[in-house]
Amino acid sequence: MITQEKYRTTVKELLASGSVKMVIGYKPGSTPDRRRPLFIRTSEEADQLVLDSTCMTNLSGYLVTEGLLSDEKRVGIFLRPEGIRSINILAAEYQLNIEQIVILGFDSTGRDVRPLEGRNAGDFSGLLSEIKEKPVQTSKEPLLERIEKMNAQERFDFWQEEFSRCIKCYACRQACPMCYCRRCIVDSNQPQWINTSSHTLGNFEWNIVRAFHLSGRCVQCGNCDRACPVNIPLRLINQRMATEVLDGFDHFAGLSPTQEPVLASFKKDDTETFIL
Amino acid sequence: MSEPFEPKIVAFVCTYCTYAGADLAGTSRLKYAPNVRIVRLPCTGRISPMFILKALQKGADGVLISGCHPGDCHFTHGNYHARRRWMVFRALLDFTGISPERVKFSWISAAEGGKFADLINSVTEEIRNLGPFDQYQQLIKETESPATL
Ligand code: SF4
Ligand code: SF4
Repeated sequence: MITQEKYRTTVKELLASGSVKMVIGYKPGSTPDRRRPLFIRTSEEADQLVLDSTCMTNLSGYLVTEGLLSDEKRVGIFLRPEGIRSINILAAEYQLNIEQIVILGFDSTGRDVRPLEGRNAGDFSGLLSEIKEKPVQTSKEPLLERIEKMNAQERFDFWQEEFSRCIKCYACRQACPMCYCRRCIVDSNQPQWINTSSHTLGNFEWNIVRAFHLSGRCVQCGNCDRACPVNIPLRLINQRMATEVLDGFDHFAGLSPTQEPVLASFKKDDTETFIL
Repeated sequence: MSEPFEPKIVAFVCTYCTYAGADLAGTSRLKYAPNVRIVRLPCTGRISPMFILKALQKGADGVLISGCHPGDCHFTHGNYHARRRWMVFRALLDFTGISPERVKFSWISAAEGGKFADLINSVTEEIRNLGPFDQYQQLIKETESPATL
C-alpha cells in the first residue's frame, strides 16, 4: 500500500515535470487477483494505479509498440527485475533507446511489494548480477528435474501430450516481450515451414521454434505461461535453454543494454563434444 | 515379407567444404551408402534449424549437417555462428525428446573425400540400428499430408 501511494505520487511528479510523456503501470482487472495494463498520461489516471504482488505481467512489450518512442520523448514503466532484463535485451537488439525509458522498479515476496532503487537501466546492474549468481527458484523446478531424468522416448511422449493441447492461438508469442518480429516465421507461407492447423506435429514444431528463438533471450517473466489457455508449461523449455546458454557461454540474458546477443556472437574456442 | 528398413537421411552441407568433399568422394570412386540426400547451401551459417525440422517433417529418419572446419569457413566465421546455434538447438531437441542420435553434425573439408564416405556409412549404419523414427512418423500421419521423402 505504502509503495503504491509513493509511486502514485512519483508518477504524478514525473508527468507534471514533463520528464515523461506517459507511464505504463497496472490497474484493477476483471477479478481481484488480475491486473490490467494502465497507460497513464494525466494525474487523474495516476489515481487508478495499482501496485501489489498480483502485478505479475511483464509490461516491457508495450514499449516496442509502433511509434511509441519515435518522438524521442521518455516513457516511464513499472518493471520487476525480469522486466528490466527484457528492456536491456530490447536495447541490445536495437529495438529501443534505453535513454528514453524511466524505470519504476518493484519486486515482491509473498504479498509484500517493495520499490527498487534507481530510475535508469544502469542503476540496476548490481541487482541483476546478483540474480545471475542466485537464480530465483520457481515452483515448477521439480517438473523440470523429472523431465531431465526421462529418456528420449519418454520426453517425446511428455511433450507430445502437452503440445497436443496447443490450439495455435499464438498468445504465448503475443504476450512475450521478446517476440517483436513484424512477421513471425509461422505467419510466412512462402515457404511454409510449419503447418498452420493445430495438429500435434505442427504444434511441436511451433513450440520448438519459439523456444529456439528465445534461447538466450528469455528472462523467465512467465508472460507466456500465464497467457497459454491450455496451460502448457512453456517457461520450462525456455528455462532449460537459459541454463544451457549460462553453462555453455556464461550468458545471462539482459544484464546490460549493450550485452551481445548470445546467438549473434561466438567465440573461436566455443567447446562442444558432438561435432564429428 | 516387408522390405528391410532403409533409413532416409538428409544432409545439409556447405558448398565450399563438405559438398566439395562429397564431390571428391565421387570422383575418387569411393563407394558409400545411397541413403543420403544431399542439400547444398552456401555456408553452414545459412543452415537454419528450420531445415532440420523440415527434413524430419518430410519423413527423414536422420539428418546430417556438415561444413568447413573451424577457421576454414569461406566467409570466415559462418561456421562459428553455426556451431553456437547447433549447440543450443541440439540441447533443445534433446530436451523435447528428439534423440540427438538422429541429428548429426560434422566438419568435412574439400580434401576429405574419404572422411565423407566413411561418415555417411557410419551414420547410415547407426540410424539403421535406431530404426525408423516411429514417434515422429505417427505425428506426420495425423497431419494427413504425405511425407514426401
Ligand atoms: S518466453 Fe515467456 S518467460 Fe520468456 S521472456 Fe517470453 S514471455 Fe517471458
Ligand atoms: S499460448 Fe499455448 S495454446 Fe496458444 S499457441 Fe502458445 S502454446 Fe499453443
